[in-house]
Amino acid sequence: MRKTARLFALLTLFVVLVAALAVATPSQSTQDTYFFAETAEIARPVQGTVQIYGGHVTVSSTIGGDLLVFGGTVAFAGAGRVKGNLFHGAASLQNAEGRVDGRVWSLASPDGALASMGKSAITASLLFVWLIAAVVWTFMSGREVRLSSLEVRASALHCFVLGLVAFTSFVLTAVVFTYLVPYLIGVPLLVALAILATLSKIYGMIAVFHAIGTIVARPRSREQLGKRAWLRGDLAMVVLGVLILGALRFVPVVGTLIWGVASVMGVGVALATKFGRREPWFLEYRSAVA
Amino acid sequence: MTTCDHYLEDPEAHAAHLDTCAECREMFGELDAELELPVRPVQLDALPLAPWEGASHRPWGLVAAAALAALALAATLFLVSGQSPIAGIWRGAASSFSPFEFAWNVANHAGGALRAAPRVFQIAVVISFFAVNTLLFLLLRRAPKGIDA
Repeated sequence: MRKTARLFALLTLFVVLVAALAVATPSQSTQDTYFFAETAEIARPVQGTVQIYGGHVTVSSTIGGDLLVFGGTVAFAGAGRVKGNLFHGAASLQNAEGRVDGRVWSLASPDGALASMGKSAITASLLFVWLIAAVVWTFMSGREVRLSSLEVRASALHCFVLGLVAFTSFVLTAVVFTYLVPYLIGVPLLVALAILATLSKIYGMIAVFHAIGTIVARPRSREQLGKRAWLRGDLAMVVLGVLILGALRFVPVVGTLIWGVASVMGVGVALATKFGRREPWFLEYRSAVA
Repeated sequence: MTTCDHYLEDPEAHAAHLDTCAECREMFGELDAELELPVRPVQLDALPLAPWEGASHRPWGLVAAAALAALALAATLFLVSGQSPIAGIWRGAASSFSPFEFAWNVANHAGGALRAAPRVFQIAVVISFFAVNTLLFLLLRRAPKGIDA
């Protein structure tokens, strides 16, 4: 418990420092315009970026920068136009076609390329990328991948719940870190967080590939193992998992959902097993017994 | 006089004690006796297959076949949609970095939004930050369950 208390004390100190910094340095004035759960209209040209979080906003003039919309509804009318990029998630866009000069990014399908190319062709290209990444990683540290794969199969629900919590934590921590960007310390913190999240996602997905391959095609006996020329070993299980999950990804809606669940589970298992090392992240404090 | 305890402490120094003590003689006789252990043949094939058995096998043929199949599928789909396969595959592969680009762009703007947000929203973010990270901390304390491999 003493270790836990120490950790919480450190965390509290961190937040107090952040708050002190925020008080000491007033927030810098930017050209950004914000709408939080408001009903409003952009009737005059805006030079900077417009950010909308919930509510209903009508854009009937030019936005010089980017437009970010998370939640709520944005309707374009009249001379409404965005000169920068449009980022949106969980939002409803009305009459937005042909009114964005830059790229349109969606939280659901963040790759802008999807809009202009065949989705299936892109999915197949990504499958190839995942295959290469999975093979290279498994070749370098097959044992760790196997250990994490075991964890996926032994406690799938725990991995999923942990993945969900970790994903939410990444988002919230990123939001808090972005608050620190003007104080410079925010940039390295954000980069470190991004690296951790990326590695968790890639490694975790490879562990899930291994788990799926193992569930489907693992040899049931030594005799079967001896007879197989290709379908045995960590590398084969991972390749099989990539192919199965990749094939499922081609199924509209369901495929995306399955891939999303696998991603969340992957992040969970990467953290649950400490990237296959099976070491505790936080040691529990216990007094020595005489 | 040599007692049983003296003998047990240093049998070599008090070797004569065995001639006079029947109890110690019997006890050490049992220790010296050869044991006949029951021999049970181990049926290796009856044991379940361990996860590490055959794990290091590397079927490069399967890897090459799968990679070629994915590449051929992508190229065919790009050709069907009237686009250059090489440029398409390159852009498709590059799009795997798009989520990070998206997150980076949004993160760059979100800090300013947080500062401009109503106080209630800021408090909610801070409370959520603590609640979620505490939950994550508690979940990470659980030991992995998978058996050793």
